[in-house]
Amino acid sequence: MRKPPDRFRWLLLLIFGGLLSGCVQQMPKVETFFELTPQSAQHRALQTRMFETPDEKELLSASAAVLQDLGFQIEESSTEVGMLRAAKERGAREYGQEIMQSFIFILSILGQNPVIIPVDVHQQISATLVTRRSETDASRFSVRILFHRSVWKGDGNTGNQHIPPGQQSLEMIYDGKIYQQFFTKLSKSVFLEAHKI
Amino acid sequence: MNARIRLLILGLALLLSACVGGAQKPPKELLSLTDAQMKIRSFQTRAFDAKDQNKVLRGVVAALQDLGFIVERANGPMGLVTAGKFGPNGHGFVQLTVVVRAKGEQQTEVRVNALFNTKPIEDPKVYQNFFIAVERSLFITRG
Repeated sequence: MRKPPDRFRWLLLLIFGGLLSGCVQQMPKVETFFELTPQSAQHRALQTRMFETPDEKELLSASAAVLQDLGFQIEESSTEVGMLRAAKERGAREYGQEIMQSFIFILSILGQNPVIIPVDVHQQISATLVTRRSETDASRFSVRILFHRSVWKGDGNTGNQHIPPGQQSLEMIYDGKIYQQFFTKLSKSVFLEAHKI
Repeated sequence: MNARIRLLILGLALLLSACVGGAQKPPKELLSLTDAQMKIRSFQTRAFDAKDQNKVLRGVVAALQDLGFIVERANGPMGLVTAGKFGPNGHGFVQLTVVVRAKGEQQTEVRVNALFNTKPIEDPKVYQNFFIAVERSLFITRG
């Protein structure tokens, strides 16, 4: 066998090195999962409102009712901890992704190797809600809700290999409007004003 | 014999020996407590000067929300919380279980064990960071 030229070998090494470093960057360090970030306080303000009521159960059941109105199913609840978890299923198809998929498919057919990139097909939107008595004023309760969504991709094809469906990703939702909408409905439901923290 | 063939045989033998070694009876020390485990337990446990376990439990839940964790299950009477969190762009997954219980008359003990991609986390720094978040949540008074 002919030995590959030295320059080629170096190039190969460089490419592999680059690929490996790519893997390293993708996997986050485990310490970072438990560190408060500068955004933590902003997120808390976005997700929390204070209500002037000493009745925690009323707040919780009103929250459950609002979530039901928004199409969520309650999956878990605990009055002792003041916690609710709810979810709803939705389609996740987006025009942009499908246009991209078709575009790449047409390009790849020209190269005689049909490539179908997987697109988002299904999503679950979940909410975790926690009530907590104010430290300074026993007659007030805070309600904090976190919205997040899991997205599942459909199947695809790399040209000679089938990509199975079911690749999952999860993202937190930090869109202020969604939180605003929830708290507006909740304050109407308990006849109380929601105060920002 | 050619050196390359010898190397190949050695490689194959190693591969085969790996097959023989795996999938045997469970190890005898499966349920026994090692020194390393005792050490990890001490990282995972912290006592707080608070009598009210429910208050501490709620502080833990609030700390988890601050850290962006999704609380999956909570059980007040048992003092139990399980939560999870995905890393940036959905890479890596951390799961944890917290148990809050009374320690003597005056204190409450918080024990947490966490998994990263289903492997136990044994880095003390991780648990220190977690308890820093719990302390803040318990003692910072909010309007």
